[in-house]
Amino acid sequence: MLSRIADSLFWLARYTGRAEDTARILDVTFHTLLEQAQKRYGLRWDPILSMAGEETLFRQFYSEADAHNVFEFLAFNPNNPSSIMQCITKARENARKIRDRISREMWEDLNGLYFTLGTFDPKEETAAGPHRFCGRVIFGSHRFHGVTDATLPHDEGWEFLRVGWALERAEMTARLVDVQYRNLLALSSIGGTPDSHQWMAVLKSVGAYEAYHRQYHSPIDPARVAEMLILNSQHPRSIRFCVTEMQAGLRAISNTGPGSYANEAERLTGKVLEGLRYDRIDDILRGGLHGYLTGLIQMFNTIGEVIARTYFYYAAVA
Amino acid sequence: MCLDRGLFSGYTAGPFYDEMFSSQGAARSHYARLLEKLGGMAPSQFEERRKLADLSFLLQGITFTVYSDGRGTERLFPFDLIPRILPQSEWAHIEAGLTQRVVALNLFLQDVYGKQQILKDRKIPSSLVYSCRHFRREMMGLEVPHGIYTHVCGIDLVRDSSTGEFYVLEDNVRTPSGISYVLENRLVMTRAFPEAFHEHEVLPVAHYPSELSRILRMLSPRGESESQIVLLTPGIHNSAYFEHSFLAQQMGIELVEGSDLIVDGVVVYMKTIYGLKRVDVIYRRVDDDFLDPLCFRSDSMLGVPGLMGAYRAGNVALANTPGNGVADDKAIYAFVPTLIKYYLGEDPVLRSVETYLCDRSDHLSHVLTNLPKLVVKSVGESGGYGMLMGPSAARAEIEAFRERIMSEPRNYIAQPIVPLSVVPSYDSAAQCMAGRHVDLRPYCLYDGQKVTIVPGGLTRVALQPGSLVVNSSQGGGSKDTWVLRGEC
Repeated sequence: MLSRIADSLFWLARYTGRAEDTARILDVTFHTLLEQAQKRYGLRWDPILSMAGEETLFRQFYSEADAHNVFEFLAFNPNNPSSIMQCITKARENARKIRDRISREMWEDLNGLYFTLGTFDPKEETAAGPHRFCGRVIFGSHRFHGVTDATLPHDEGWEFLRVGWALERAEMTARLVDVQYRNLLALSSIGGTPDSHQWMAVLKSVGAYEAYHRQYHSPIDPARVAEMLILNSQHPRSIRFCVTEMQAGLRAISNTGPGSYANEAERLTGKVLEGLRYDRIDDILRGGLHGYLTGLIQMFNTIGEVIARTYFYYAAVA
Repeated sequence: MCLDRGLFSGYTAGPFYDEMFSSQGAARSHYARLLEKLGGMAPSQFEERRKLADLSFLLQGITFTVYSDGRGTERLFPFDLIPRILPQSEWAHIEAGLTQRVVALNLFLQDVYGKQQILKDRKIPSSLVYSCRHFRREMMGLEVPHGIYTHVCGIDLVRDSSTGEFYVLEDNVRTPSGISYVLENRLVMTRAFPEAFHEHEVLPVAHYPSELSRILRMLSPRGESESQIVLLTPGIHNSAYFEHSFLAQQMGIELVEGSDLIVDGVVVYMKTIYGLKRVDVIYRRVDDDFLDPLCFRSDSMLGVPGLMGAYRAGNVALANTPGNGVADDKAIYAFVPTLIKYYLGEDPVLRSVETYLCDRSDHLSHVLTNLPKLVVKSVGESGGYGMLMGPSAARAEIEAFRERIMSEPRNYIAQPIVPLSVVPSYDSAAQCMAGRHVDLRPYCLYDGQKVTIVPGGLTRVALQPGSLVVNSSQGGGSKDTWVLRGEC
């Protein structure tokens, strides 16, 4: 497989994943806030922006965050490189560059999603609220996964998609837990009481609400929420699950068996995974959740760079 | 002539040869069944099928990008649902003519870059050959794999309304494009009008990619069993990019850009996730000029430095062969009947359009006095660029061309305007059928022994009323082309 194609597959996965993650967070937060008092809005819209990592850019367009402008900025704004529309556009560009290597069904599905989302009018949607638009993005992303799984040979190209999806999810879940935890704890320190609804919103944004109840049979407890999203071995959006996927994908690419590693990306992924397997949530909270998650996010960035160095880049002269 | 039923009600062909209706107004026998099928259809039903076809093209991304609005809007290459139908006898005639032409052009290229017997015999002026913009000195004396130059040719044909006969309008033997539309048009047509196919025996076209793949595999310097074949594209911004990726996918070969390849020790490799992998055959869709910055244009970013060195050493095969542009130069075109006679001892099956060479003084004076009646073409261009359509041109434009012709006569040829035949096409603005001018580009594959032509080819249609220019940049579209197994 050409290095350029592997590169495009990896980013195709990351961009579709990012679009879905952003849509989930937007949708759930918006609807939770609808049930809250208006004056608390300011407190909670800012964290969404920091989750997306685009707070500074946002300030260049809007002075204060509110339901409308945060939605516009994260869903449609063409100047925001992480906006949902920009992610889908870039995912499609990557797919177009390698359309001879992906299945016809995958291309038609993603291309159709791009055109469908293009028919949404930003003004109208901003007024109507994010559910319709975000619902379409999430559904579109799920369908694209399904089409990919069912029509693309599960060869090394598929593994690059798998690694890209898993890495993007792992990073987004880490950001989500980090930001929400800080935000909700800050709320209690200034006298507010983060009720279980906000923690429910966190679970819902990663589709883990029902799974939580099946797992714990107990009321929503922040520590258990963090445990579910970081350490759970079975929920497809927990960090541990995603890193397990990354490891499986990377090993399939290099054809490496368990217990060893073929390159730096596999070594780092294995190291992170060992931690996630044996760490306990109480220890993590005692040691500082923010520091723990920041460490993971940095590690994910490094792994992304190392994958690129190992597989995508070529020296000008062989 | 006027039809009173449904879709074709009020249709008249005008003064041109109508592919569907005879001058008496009856459907030609090879169109009779289709008329029966479609004639009763209401415009609204037809419109529904048309939308279905458009959606199918849009979803597959068979679009070209228009950058004029600054945002890069994607447009569909318009597709018209009324097929262009050719009965077997007409196709057999065309096929014989094209086969003869492709073989002669290949012999001409072998000769021009080899012994140059035709120049020594003074059948064609040496000065004309050497002054071709696409003549490549670098190819002189080089033995090319299996002696094949013209692996893929697209030859443009038109039917002259005044005689009803097919003429060759131009040869494209460098990197002709359009075959993907032939294959996609057929696919969409079978989805939009499945019932029409039940009534006809339409010859299939889907074997093109496997035939091309067979020829490419044959070229491998390491033998067919070990043949790594790639398609070299200029990249995603090229207007034919869809076709490049389509063909690569259909043939199951790697689609590469120049930066994916590297030459080391006069061998070409591609950069893969597991290291360098040797490449044996390159179906290149990059022009000669940009193939290798060390050999041709040094500012090219699209090519591969050292590629021509590897080619000369016989370590990699290229299709089509560099230097082919000398055979489709529009001044050389005037000599193709001579070439056919010289190399094959045969009379041309298909006629060429009368052509005036501006660097011949007798021709030049005729051209300059008759500019408003002629079409003038720049010899090294293709795709409808550098053209003057005398009858529709403004006075100032004609005068500007006059200046250009006089300063550089070798660069221009002129031809009488051919009144192209028409096929009924749907005019969505007027919601009725109207006659629109068409040409035909069949695609010929040559393996050194035999010429394979997929039945039909690309029928391009000028969708603007009265227009004779079928290029997509000028509002042209395309139609599915049916060659019938029999006569009707």
